Amino acid sequence: MASSVSSQHDQVLVEAHASARILTLNRPKQLNALSFPMISWLLELFLAYEVDPNVKLVILKGKGRAFCAGGDVAAVVHDIRAGDWKAGAHFFLKEFTLNYLMATYSKPQVSILNGITMGGGAGASMHGRFRVATENTVFAMPETALGLFPDVGASYFLSRLPGFFGEYLGLTGSKLDGAEMLACGLATHFVPSANLPILEAALCKVDSSDPVIISSIIDQYCKQPSVKEQSAYNRLDVIDRCFSQKTVEKILTALEKEAVHQRDGWISATIETLKKASPTSLKISLRSIREGRLQGVGACLVREYRMVCHVMQGDFSKDFLEGCRALLIDKDKNPKWEPSKLELVSDSAVDCYFSKLNDEEWEDLKLPSRSNFNLPPYAIAKL
Amino acid sequence: MDRAFQRTKILTNHLLQSSPSSPSLSSNDCLNYSPPELSENYEFDIKEMRKLIDGHHIEERDWLFGILMQSKFFNPKVRGGKVFLLPDYNQSMEQQREMTWKRIQYFLDRGVYKGWLTGKGEEVELRKFAAFEVLSMYDHSISIKLGVHFFLWGGAIQFFGTKHHHDKWLRDSENYSIKGCFAMTELGHGSNVRGIETVTTYDSNTEEFVINTPCESAQKYWIGGAANHATHTVVFSQLNINGTNQGVHAFIVQIRGADGNVCPNIRISDCGHKIGLNGVDNGRIWFDNVRVPRENLLNSVADVSPDGKYLSSIKDPDQRFAAFMAPLTSGRVNIAVTSVYQAKVGLAIAIRYALTRRAFSLKPNEPEVLLLDYPSHQRRLLPLVAKTYAMSFAAKYLKILYVKRTPQSNKTIHVFSSSFKATFTWNNMQTLQECREACGGQGLKTENRIGNLISEYDVQSTFEGDNHILMQQVSKALFAEYLAAQKRNKVFKGLGLEHMNRPCPIIPSQLNSTTLRSSQFQMDALCLREKNLLDLFVADVSQYQANGESKEHAFIKSYQVAEDLGRAFSDRTILQTFVEAEATLVSGSLKDVLGLLRSLYALTCLEDVAFLHYGYLSVDNAASVRKEITKICSELRPHALALVSSYGIPDAFLSPIAFNWIEANSWSSVEH
Repeated sequence: MASSVSSQHDQVLVEAHASARILTLNRPKQLNALSFPMISWLLELFLAYEVDPNVKLVILKGKGRAFCAGGDVAAVVHDIRAGDWKAGAHFFLKEFTLNYLMATYSKPQVSILNGITMGGGAGASMHGRFRVATENTVFAMPETALGLFPDVGASYFLSRLPGFFGEYLGLTGSKLDGAEMLACGLATHFVPSANLPILEAALCKVDSSDPVIISSIIDQYCKQPSVKEQSAYNRLDVIDRCFSQKTVEKILTALEKEAVHQRDGWISATIETLKKASPTSLKISLRSIREGRLQGVGACLVREYRMVCHVMQGDFSKDFLEGCRALLIDKDKNPKWEPSKLELVSDSAVDCYFSKLNDEEWEDLKLPSRSNFNLPPYAIAKL
Repeated sequence: MDRAFQRTKILTNHLLQSSPSSPSLSSNDCLNYSPPELSENYEFDIKEMRKLIDGHHIEERDWLFGILMQSKFFNPKVRGGKVFLLPDYNQSMEQQREMTWKRIQYFLDRGVYKGWLTGKGEEVELRKFAAFEVLSMYDHSISIKLGVHFFLWGGAIQFFGTKHHHDKWLRDSENYSIKGCFAMTELGHGSNVRGIETVTTYDSNTEEFVINTPCESAQKYWIGGAANHATHTVVFSQLNINGTNQGVHAFIVQIRGADGNVCPNIRISDCGHKIGLNGVDNGRIWFDNVRVPRENLLNSVADVSPDGKYLSSIKDPDQRFAAFMAPLTSGRVNIAVTSVYQAKVGLAIAIRYALTRRAFSLKPNEPEVLLLDYPSHQRRLLPLVAKTYAMSFAAKYLKILYVKRTPQSNKTIHVFSSSFKATFTWNNMQTLQECREACGGQGLKTENRIGNLISEYDVQSTFEGDNHILMQQVSKALFAEYLAAQKRNKVFKGLGLEHMNRPCPIIPSQLNSTTLRSSQFQMDALCLREKNLLDLFVADVSQYQANGESKEHAFIKSYQVAEDLGRAFSDRTILQTFVEAEATLVSGSLKDVLGLLRSLYALTCLEDVAFLHYGYLSVDNAASVRKEITKICSELRPHALALVSSYGIPDAFLSPIAFNWIEANSWSSVEH
């Protein structure tokens, strides 16, 4: 036991400064992918800091070239293969609870995204008050290529991006750099990585939870980056026209129509990506983002928890196992999706992913009550 | 003394606050906004409830909400950390019209109108209704511009036109290459369409119709779309063939060229600024012997041969006219069913505010009381919530009746749509006014929406038939049913009048809670009123007729009973749809709460003065009804948030006072 506790504590390093705490995700070889012990430890730390009057600010960062490449999906897949999808469910239950706590946290969280920030890594940062991107940041929600869907509350934060950019990011898994993240609102600040040490030092001196004060400190180390010319963000008009369509099939048709009008590598690449992704994933992802647009962050996570349990249970499709096999385990990059085509995924099949599980022991995600905390307006607005 | 002390303490706290330049005030001893979601529970599945009351196309509705929320065209504003959409009604009339037009084009680009005119069947018609219900929660001008183009212009071509009209106009209208309007109302004639003065003659030499505005009162008036945008119109006109007036007919006339210039022999003028709906370009049109080809007569009901012979399969001019009124039914159905949704917006805002706003403590040093915990506040708002539920079921019933229409059901649809249009739109105004007042001073702010909804939707009680006239028509229709049944010695069948065949229901002299909450008793009470008022109305009219008055004059004189009867018919029909919807559910929390709502709706109907005036309820009974209403309100209080959340209105379509109104008004949110 002792060794597991120590390994849990090794995986997230804690530095206590006056009224700031710096948490460093410390699994650099695995690009800081969130393991179950890491999530549990983070959850404990965040809960403790919330009631500790000496803590006013939490800084989250990653060791090495990644902030965090995602959840430790390999472990979940291992459980599912061993016939224990409920262990996987337990993993997501903890992770989503952490996401909810971060989204409704009464103290500011500053996430320093100096590297890869994907999937679960986005979930551990995007819900917090401040997201600092750098020139090293690479952001993506690549789940549809894995047979999953953008979870960790992504249906909340993706759906709130300008126009239909969220649908684009969530369905294609396209990568963004720091400048693009700032432009679309996923990042709140852009700080050149060279400035990070002095930024951290300055933040450690702040004796305040006031977001205005913290924001103005980060501002001092900011740079205004320019969005690269060929960025998808500069094609928001095309993205809006296509990704606002009602169904994945119609999105593809709209993209193909655009491709006829203008020969454009970006459009054909987008079509290619969509055609490579799991058809089931695409359909449930689109529905999830659409529903998320009209829901609070709690309702989003409850819904996503249902979905992820259906995905793991694998009653309709086992694409998640197949995607992980092809991309993470065998690495042949050639998943065989089943159902193999969009038209084989009926609306009623999609409906199933959003319903309660038909399993006596299973329960909906129960989120911790937040009514006893003096939540800031920023958090209240997300409920 | 205690109170004085408490006030001093509060004031001291205010004065000792940190300096106003500090962006976040200390929250000690100050009011905190606590979201109702944190304190209130959902005891039934609000998604299931929404499915029940929206009734159809839930995903389609949410898609459309998303289309609005993700575009800058809909004027998104961040208040209290949330985004709200609200048209800017402070813009000039010209700006509002331009914005409305841009929004309509945006929907066109997004494919919202696909199939609206070229598609067929129940699915597309219901989808269209769903879209109107959604858009009507954002802005009335958009729905009216669309309603004129699709329901009136498009509907006229679909219903009065024949195949070559459909082929020629529908596709171009659906993609807005043609912008249509509907020239029926004149300065001198509104509800009385048969009295319009525009005259059309036929010139067999050129095979053209000649349309003319013979006098000022014949100018077309209030024509939505005519002032700026419309390229074509359907003109309603008397058709005079060889000196014989064949009654009102409809013709297609181009009024603007592709360049936007008004066509020769057409004069158009603006109706000017209005108390609401300034995004709609209402105009006036004069026709100076405008010539249109023979095929521009919409000829499904009647035609004129090339050599000028009038041909119609319907010989009776009354029936011919009724056939012409058919597309107005679709507009009327649409107005009725969408009007429930503005009431929902108002109530969702007022209830959410009442769950977060406090006023007065009962004892010193106790927290102040939430507005919705006052029985008086519950009494103001919760019966109105019950009405939106009742009317949602009735609206669904009407929509289904409409999309499944047959030539035989036209009359039934006419009666139901007239009755519901009047009842729902009156209720809408009453509800919005109550919600405005229930929000106190905050209700007066434009950003809180309710006031704008009142002025934007006021017109509902007038267009597509003045509400009073519609109610009289309902009573006349019931009168005709009565006579028909009596004359042929047959039973009543249709319009839900079957209860007329049964013996008169008896109201017990003692009304206990169980009785008052039974749907049997509630139906009995409403049937009793309707049955008796119909008897009275027939007797009243017959009495006048016996004294030598004409039937028409007798109707006019019996207006009071006529309107009471119209209301009785409406209330009973609505309750019946509620009871039927309830019957389809399995027992459980959803059904239980619907039972409470149904009882609250029914008992609120029993508060109509007619019950005491005509003696259907004793004074004691009326007192029992009142007491029971208060009790049901208190039982519904814990469900209040769930009930308005089940409306399925996204936060962005409500207003800042429905959410964190303290933050929305904080110093830090002031643009310095």
